[in-house]
Amino acid sequence: MAITPNYYETLYVTRPDLQEEALATIQNKLQDSISTNQGEVIKAEKWAERPLAYEIQDHKRGIYYILVFKALPDASKEIEKHLQFYNTDILRFMTLKITEEAANKSKASQEEKAPKAEPTPAPKVEEPKANLKLKNLKLKK
Amino acid sequence: MDSRRDKRYFSKKKVCKFCTEPIDMDYKNVDLLSRFISDRKKIVPRRNSGLCAYHQRQLATTIKRTRFMALLPYTVLH
Repeated sequence: MAITPNYYETLYVTRPDLQEEALATIQNKLQDSISTNQGEVIKAEKWAERPLAYEIQDHKRGIYYILVFKALPDASKEIEKHLQFYNTDILRFMTLKITEEAANKSKASQEEKAPKAEPTPAPKVEEPKANLKLKNLKLKK
Repeated sequence: MDSRRDKRYFSKKKVCKFCTEPIDMDYKNVDLLSRFISDRKKIVPRRNSGLCAYHQRQLATTIKRTRFMALLPYTVLH
């Protein structure tokens, strides 16, 4: 059976003081790994700049970028590898497999470009791809 | 006596919000999800959230994703 491409959504948080050039090199790498895996970018944009709910590497704010794409499963692995490599600039990242409908919705929302920053239409999340380090939390008592 | 006392109380039937309204549960929708966490930033139980079992399970995973992305806190102690 041939491997068919899937739809993925990656959300990643960068340092607020990240230089544009550094960001561009990271985004180019992501772009490359999608295109080498027969993929296409459906949406790539800045989602928000907002305060983090808790400090990550002493940063109190972060810039969120969203990337929706269709590619072979290897692409998502490669993307995560790239994001992991720049882990001083990328504070957090998560890739989720989404449905085709959800991907098309997000494409439509980008074309509309509503004046107010509407929360992007909800992709139906199917399966977590990210290694959630939730259990690492240790509460100080 | 007991049965009469019972009649005085009306329990409003809870209906799951996500079953009745066409809302997608999305981990980026912080405003929506923050309604389902307590003062101490815990996920509210089903008896308080009023969700059905299926959506409560979905809510728990969604909130955990949101927390990982630092959109919601794990605790008040941060």
